[in-house]
Amino acid sequence: MSSSGAAPVWRIVLWRELRDQWIGGKALSMILIYTILLGIYAYLFASNSELNLLPLNQMVLEIVKAAIFVGLFICLIIGADSVSGERERATLEGLLLTPTSRREIVAGKFLSALAPWPIALAVAIPYWVVLSKGEPVLRQALLWGPLVGTLLAPAFAGLGMLVSVWCNSNKTSMLVSVALYLVLILPAEYSGPATVTVSPQATERSNLFQLANPLAASDRLLHEVIMGNAPVHQVWLWVTTPVVFPIIVLAVLFLYAGPSLRLEAGMKWLRPRTI
Amino acid sequence: MNAQKGDPTHMQTGTDVLVAEGLAKHYGPRHALRGLSFTLKAGRMLGFLGPNGAGKTTSIRILTTIMEPDAGHFTVDGISHKQPDQIRRRIGVLPESFGLPKQMTGIEYLTYFGQLYGRTASDAKAIGLRLMEEVGLKQRTRSLVSTYSHGMRQRIGIARALVNDPVVVFLDEPTIGLDPRGQQELLGLVQQIASDRGAGVILCSHLLSEVESVCDDVVILSSGEIVASGAVSEVIGRTEQNVIRIRVPTGAIDDAKRELEAIPAVRQVLPTSGQPGWLRVELDEGASDDHPINNRILETLIRADIPILSFEPEGGRLQDVFLQLTAGAIK
Repeated sequence: MSSSGAAPVWRIVLWRELRDQWIGGKALSMILIYTILLGIYAYLFASNSELNLLPLNQMVLEIVKAAIFVGLFICLIIGADSVSGERERATLEGLLLTPTSRREIVAGKFLSALAPWPIALAVAIPYWVVLSKGEPVLRQALLWGPLVGTLLAPAFAGLGMLVSVWCNSNKTSMLVSVALYLVLILPAEYSGPATVTVSPQATERSNLFQLANPLAASDRLLHEVIMGNAPVHQVWLWVTTPVVFPIIVLAVLFLYAGPSLRLEAGMKWLRPRTI
Repeated sequence: MNAQKGDPTHMQTGTDVLVAEGLAKHYGPRHALRGLSFTLKAGRMLGFLGPNGAGKTTSIRILTTIMEPDAGHFTVDGISHKQPDQIRRRIGVLPESFGLPKQMTGIEYLTYFGQLYGRTASDAKAIGLRLMEEVGLKQRTRSLVSTYSHGMRQRIGIARALVNDPVVVFLDEPTIGLDPRGQQELLGLVQQIASDRGAGVILCSHLLSEVESVCDDVVILSSGEIVASGAVSEVIGRTEQNVIRIRVPTGAIDDAKRELEAIPAVRQVLPTSGQPGWLRVELDEGASDDHPINNRILETLIRADIPILSFEPEGGRLQDVFLQLTAGAIK
């Protein structure tokens, strides 16, 4: 039945998902909230007398981190709705009954979960420009902010999708995703380079801990390059996690979870045998 | 005309389009399905019946390749179940509960599915428009599917099931929630699908009267096993037909019982518990073969001046067969 010139499945699914998210309003409303939050944040930095005392580099670092971490959260949430949401709305069965590759369905959904990131970045950059007042720190922010965000956005969209594939209810998928996000972001927010004198062993443990957490590692990386203007050869270690984490997540998503996408949730070995 | 695989327009009526042999499925220690075997021919409608928990949904999920059987095998249009992608190209499914995307119009929805079956956007749209006309939704092609009534949703669901010109169509409770007129219209549509397209149709329903009126064949499941299968008329003919239910005014029930028990072919007469005025008249073996017994009973009651409010020989309907065969299994 396939006609020559027929569009690939991933593109058909992507197009439908984008319509649902952007015309349906979920992604659009999240981006609107994101824009407002970022605006408030930038306004406080620019006008609040106490925050105004922060060094310029620190202000830029904070707004770059906020833009990236909230953007990642949006990708995570949209990914978390992608499969369990369809299960709950009873639209997944129709999709699975078509003779399409599961991996292509997952690819279409993944790309749509990733779609808010470039828009979030486009929204954030003007704030960075305004807040940096044209100082050299802007160059570092414009180089490293998009790089770190673009490395991590696929990982968070993929992580949300993995949770979504394995959760039967959309509510569970959202809760698990938010919990995972908090587990990653809270240590990132409370860690950072040691500011007090500690033993070398404690510093090493802290570094390992940050290295294992993609958000903490990214936080550290951004701190080094924006605050310390560190060259690449000094921060390569902190680039490792934002590179390795997406590779692991996407490998699990596309090599394991995607091809075994089913009507019933759960991991393959926990559920009845299905085709 | 030679039948060609996967092309229902060339499907000869009477060709086996679905053959299931010994399908079995268990969930842990519980057997959901045991030895399901039946054949569906092109252009025929098969009613798939069973009480809740009988294994209907499991059967449909296996036959539509959503689930894999633990044992047995089936073919659709000669294609083994081990090639699920090939089978999906040849089947159309209307699941019992299916959702519709909020942001799509009717034609966009059908075009989307047409494309998923490998058609170009223009081909898929042309087929979608034709199907919308076929299912009576021509005037609503550009309306959002979220604004459709329940009956219209079922119709677009059927249109979606036909988007790939299937050889076998599975319809799971298509008339559920519809008013009597909507049920009638939808069943007419389903019959048309079987006859015009030459597709085999499997109709799952709890409405036994509708299965009896539109289906050629029937499979009745109970506790995961087939308890009856064959042509509808054959299956109905197999049931016990030695019981007649009669309703008389409650004040006349004792007189009616006495008069009826006096008829030689009547074994016993029992009031039906919980149904005031109803009597269950059990006849001797073979008595119902002698149809004049019905006249004899009516004549006796009329002579005794007992008003007859209702007279129902049991066993003449699919419902009676179903209740007899699934007694004790209804959950």
